[in-house]
Amino acid sequence: MVTFRILPVIENRVLGPYTLLRIKDRNMHKEAKCGQFVMVGFPSSLDPFLLRPLSFLSIAEDSFSLLIKKKGRGTEKLSELSVGDELKILGPLGRYIIPPKSGILIAGGIGIAPLYYQSLWMSHGILFYGAKRKRDILFSKDFESRGFTVKTITEEERGTVADLVRENLEILEGQQIFICGPDAMIKALKDIIGGYTKQAFVYMERRMGCGLGGCKSCAVKTDSGYKLVCQDGPVFPLKEVSYD
Amino acid sequence: MIDLSVNFAGLKLKNPVILASGVWDLPYTKIIDFKKLGGVIYKGLSLMPREGNPPPRITEIPCGVINSIGLANKGIKVFNREVLPELKELGTEVFLNIFGESIEEFSKISSLIRDVSGIEVNISCPNVEKGGVYFGRDPETAYQVTKAVCENTDLPVIVKLTPAASDIVVVAEACQEAGACAITAVNTFPGLVIDIDSGKPLFERVVGGVSGPAIKPLALYKVYEVSSNVGIPVIGSGGIGNYEDVLEYFFAGATAIQLGSVIFTNPLAPIEIIDNITKYAKEKGYSNLKEIRRCVDG
Repeated sequence: MVTFRILPVIENRVLGPYTLLRIKDRNMHKEAKCGQFVMVGFPSSLDPFLLRPLSFLSIAEDSFSLLIKKKGRGTEKLSELSVGDELKILGPLGRYIIPPKSGILIAGGIGIAPLYYQSLWMSHGILFYGAKRKRDILFSKDFESRGFTVKTITEEERGTVADLVRENLEILEGQQIFICGPDAMIKALKDIIGGYTKQAFVYMERRMGCGLGGCKSCAVKTDSGYKLVCQDGPVFPLKEVSYD
Repeated sequence: MIDLSVNFAGLKLKNPVILASGVWDLPYTKIIDFKKLGGVIYKGLSLMPREGNPPPRITEIPCGVINSIGLANKGIKVFNREVLPELKELGTEVFLNIFGESIEEFSKISSLIRDVSGIEVNISCPNVEKGGVYFGRDPETAYQVTKAVCENTDLPVIVKLTPAASDIVVVAEACQEAGACAITAVNTFPGLVIDIDSGKPLFERVVGGVSGPAIKPLALYKVYEVSSNVGIPVIGSGGIGNYEDVLEYFFAGATAIQLGSVIFTNPLAPIEIIDNITKYAKEKGYSNLKEIRRCVDG
């Protein structure tokens, strides 16, 4: 069930270049499924006006966590919240997915957040993970302790996650693949992995207005016309997403 | 018991709070109890399906948003088949916002509309190449479009106007003369956002439509201008965020109001506003909306 509620922040922790916000809520673990997201905003504030779409990083019985990257005024303000501050939360939103027991995750930067959440539903797999700097790489040990093989790459050292995938193409054969990262990365991966699996999926991000399919803002170009991240996604088959 | 009902265009709405076109769709039934609303206006429908504009389509401004959606919709035929049956079950008055690129298109689409409470004619969208704001800036074209719609339907016809008309009163008068039974004032204000990284407009079509609390005083003045000068009811729209804003619109002359982008920041705002108008009336000892309005009419 989708709800709109005011909920308190119970933890704000710096995690590499990001901020982890934990929000107190005993209902989300009963409602949310893999692949979904929430819209987050500031109570009694008209500025910033819009709620922000954010992926779950994890959900516990008493709380859920979000990973924030400072990108603009909204995320700046979110990362400065103190314990006890309140947030407007609309969700869970979007279509859920049924994750495979094992598969391949490909993350770029903050794109690790929804894939981390998805990995909690899986028993093992392989994570390809790229970031700008070494200190941006999070959760490697955590993934390994849960049966994942982790392969990382950073731009300051060697290259992008697309380079990493290109070096390991034979691993992709026949596997289910889930991708989350910037558009340039998705576009590069679409060209690289198309021939190796028919089962590649991508978590998409777009500027969003309502989160409920009302405003038609969060359009993603696909082979069959525009689709909405909030209603048709956020997870799309990679082959459908068009960058032409 | 406070009676919030309003009458216009031969209709009785249970209260004056209408959900504006373009901000909601059926998934909102998961969060809003539509039976409590005075009415809803379904997003701009055209004769043929429209893809809409390339993303980005929305961004935030201080106290509001600017959009460039481009009237993405499935077209009236698919709507009649797939969406209309569900709208009829909402338990509130349903209006359809319609859009055409020519007067002929307006005539055709009007003749295909059925089983709703009324039509809202969109001659005010800033996000399209033809029609929209280009029709609503010119009183003569506004007259022709309104007349074409009225000749092709027996339903009440409301015309939604653009604040970009050089004289909105003249446009409103033309719509009244052509047979409109109410005016919605106003659609979004044309505006611009530049992406400072590229130095170029954020939206591919350059212009966008500005809405939200940022435009409230601007829209409110348009409502005042129109309602002071035309005889048909005015439905006020623009930046309403709470019940105090609704009262301002009433006192500016609006018969009913529409809520738009506020539901992006608070999807429960429509219900909260209805509850708060009721509470306000109770505290002041008014039993209906007429009494609220009368307190300023003297």
